[in-house]
Amino acid sequence: MTAASVHTRRRPRINVPAGSFLLLLLVILLWWLAAQLSFVIPTPADTVGALVSNFGDADYRRHVEATAAAVLVAFLVAGLLGVLLGLALGLSKWVRIIFEPLVVGFNGVPKIVLYPVLLPIFSLSGSKIVMGVLFGLFPILINVAAGIRDMPAVYWKLARSVNANWWQVLTQIIVPAIRRPLLTGVRLAASLSAVGVVLAEFFSTRFGLGRVVLRAYGNGNYPDMMATILLLISVAFIVSLLLWRWERKTR
Amino acid sequence: MESTVAAPVKTESPHTPTPVPGRRRKRPSTGLLSAVCTFGLLVLGCLFWHLGSALAWWSPATIPPLTEVTPALVEILGSGEFWGDAGRTGFEIAIAFVGGGAFGLLVGIGFWKAPTIGRVFEPYLVSFYAVPLVLFYPVMIVIVGINQWSVIILASIMAGIPMALNTWVGLSGLPPVYLKLARSLGCNPRQTMFEVALPAAAPFIVAGLRLAVVYALIGAVAMEFVTASAGLGFRIRYLYESFDTVEMFVYVLVVLAMSLALTFLLSVAERALLRGRAGR
Amino acid sequence: MSQPGIQISDLSVEFAGGDADPVTAVSGVSQEIDAHRFVSIVGPSGCGKSTLLNVVAGLQQPTAGSIMIDGKPVTGPDRRIGLVFQEDSTLPWKTTTDNVAFGMRILGVAKRDQQRRAQEMIDLVGLQGFEQSYPAMLSGGMRQRVALARTLAQQPSVLLMDEPFAALDQQTRILLGAEVRRIWRQTKQTVLFVTHDLSEAILMSQQVWVMSYRPGRIIDVIDVDLPDDRDASVVSTPAFNELQNRIWSTLQQEAMRGFVAESTAA
Ligand SMILES: Nc1ncnc2c1ncn2[C@@H]1O[C@H](COP(=O)(O)OP(=O)(O)OP(=O)(O)O)[C@@H](O)[C@H]1O
Ligand SMILES: [Mg+2]
Repeated sequence: MTAASVHTRRRPRINVPAGSFLLLLLVILLWWLAAQLSFVIPTPADTVGALVSNFGDADYRRHVEATAAAVLVAFLVAGLLGVLLGLALGLSKWVRIIFEPLVVGFNGVPKIVLYPVLLPIFSLSGSKIVMGVLFGLFPILINVAAGIRDMPAVYWKLARSVNANWWQVLTQIIVPAIRRPLLTGVRLAASLSAVGVVLAEFFSTRFGLGRVVLRAYGNGNYPDMMATILLLISVAFIVSLLLWRWERKTR
Repeated sequence: MESTVAAPVKTESPHTPTPVPGRRRKRPSTGLLSAVCTFGLLVLGCLFWHLGSALAWWSPATIPPLTEVTPALVEILGSGEFWGDAGRTGFEIAIAFVGGGAFGLLVGIGFWKAPTIGRVFEPYLVSFYAVPLVLFYPVMIVIVGINQWSVIILASIMAGIPMALNTWVGLSGLPPVYLKLARSLGCNPRQTMFEVALPAAAPFIVAGLRLAVVYALIGAVAMEFVTASAGLGFRIRYLYESFDTVEMFVYVLVVLAMSLALTFLLSVAERALLRGRAGR
Repeated sequence: MSQPGIQISDLSVEFAGGDADPVTAVSGVSQEIDAHRFVSIVGPSGCGKSTLLNVVAGLQQPTAGSIMIDGKPVTGPDRRIGLVFQEDSTLPWKTTTDNVAFGMRILGVAKRDQQRRAQEMIDLVGLQGFEQSYPAMLSGGMRQRVALARTLAQQPSVLLMDEPFAALDQQTRILLGAEVRRIWRQTKQTVLFVTHDLSEAILMSQQVWVMSYRPGRIIDVIDVDLPDDRDASVVSTPAFNELQNRIWSTLQQEAMRGFVAESTAA
């Protein structure tokens, strides 16, 4: 930074959301260019067309529903379990001493390798939900625990001074105090449980979009493959973006 | 501090002044206690496994008994095939970590220098985790062909993103007084970067490195598992499909042990790298 | 017979202000400080004290006017000038010794001299025994001593301090203030010292400048004719009180004016 530029550090004139949108357009343009150069890559228009016609197909909708339902269940279970375990890990010194290293360790494990172990236990339709839970559980758990640990000590004093019962402490003090890490955890859990489910579907399932992608790839039906990829990515991106914006607005 | 493991961006600044000038040091006894407890839990887990098999709580087809898995483990660890797979996976992880990490570091520095560009990219970067990158595998095959580079590229992307975000957050959270100090001493840009900015952002950058290793591992193994034709991830899938449950369990255990060991080594390395700073 | 230390001639600094109105932070300041003298600046918050100091330090270009140090102009960051900041500027990844040597290292002082001078300065600021400590293990006042030692080790001829004790508690401020004065009496650098605290200014310096609210001008210059070896007990003398009253009466109006301007602007 030069001496002169210190004066002029002001808010940028460029509109950031507009810039992000332009970037998106640029990516679509590059995709279109790539499609022109290689006949295996379908154009954006073909892809959207394939997606629209796919949705006219009852069989396809069934795959969509199967994936959506699995993701939703996985997310809810991961969220609930994650918050409970995170509370335990954050509040109790002993739980932390005993379990923290393993929790942190398991967070760094490529959980997908557990899928074949889960399959005979939870069956085909249950296993992908368990997979989604395993993916989504850790971020929320770790964020909740860390959030509680970073709470200013004065909050606990406050709670004691007004004789709050445990429910009041939870809802009036802990949840508001950790809302940002909590939201980060929720966002990551939502994203990752979807990733877990789709990844599991890629491996084996009866119904689900992961399987649709793989089948389309196997048949050489690239527009269909791209259409489903596009659907999954757009939904995942939009949900994650909305949660992220909410998280940023929270102070 | 462990929030970094999950959150790609560490949001709290390590530079925020501590209310009590940080003379508190973690007592080493809890660390030792933790280690003992962890070991105890692992032993307990093995015991439970053994007992469950012995008392037939589950069929050996679902979970093979420890007494079969252990000899198989010894045998496999002596086999060339295992080391071939492990070598390939290790190579992929190493390249993805180095390549993705270096690229992420540069991108993070670039975003710091040009924050507007950073903010334009930010929503996409933070949402990258939402995308099952494995979906791009077919696309990658079309582009680079069927070889390990498609695994490496996707694992590099996964490793690079937390690195970029952490570097960026770390650098933009620098206390302005450090840069003022550098300027008053007439530091050149290289000195400002290497003597002041990067070391000051080190807690974030090191956390980013740790995430980069973890994500390189997760990315490489997951990618291998789903589609590759070699590597530890592939082998697990292969053994599953050929109904060789015992050997499959061995490989799963090896991958678990490997990643747990890696996490442990990384936390040791982090401690060493950030020696002397508050709370360490 | 007095040599020139800092010469400020007709200095003005204006901030472009982006979409807001331009701000004139410093306006037509002309002052001189003889070498080896200790001068303090007091003034209402936001009047341009830091800006003035930044320009003297060569960190910022003035809109008009010029600065001379020891008779030679300042054009940019300058090794003749040492800065002590208000914020904690110790580097948390370096031990006390390495922190103190940091400035010398950047300025290219020979390795052997670095070690020797670092130790001298550590002794001077009273940090013996903490050479291998990291800042995280030191109190706020000790960290500020480290920063002071680092600056002194650069052997600048001019020392600029921008509210160096503002983040410290009252007792530490008083102790550290006396320490700085003791060190100055030993090293005899030319010192320009910014503070909010009137008694600190009077206690420490030979001259006090009072700055007006925007545009920042020097509206009063008061010579402090208290004994050179004064200590904290002078605060109870009539001479001290008189000085304090004089500065406060000037400052009061300005502080009020600034307060009104800030609150109506917001
Ligand atoms: N980079 C900048 N861009 C625009 N205006 C600035 C900038 N830096 C300072 N100012 C303005 O210039 C004026 C003087 O600021 P300065 O920091 O010099 O005041 P100060 O006397 O040091 O205040 P304080 O006592 O609070 O430290 C203020 O009104 C401030 O808003
Ligand atoms: Mg100031």
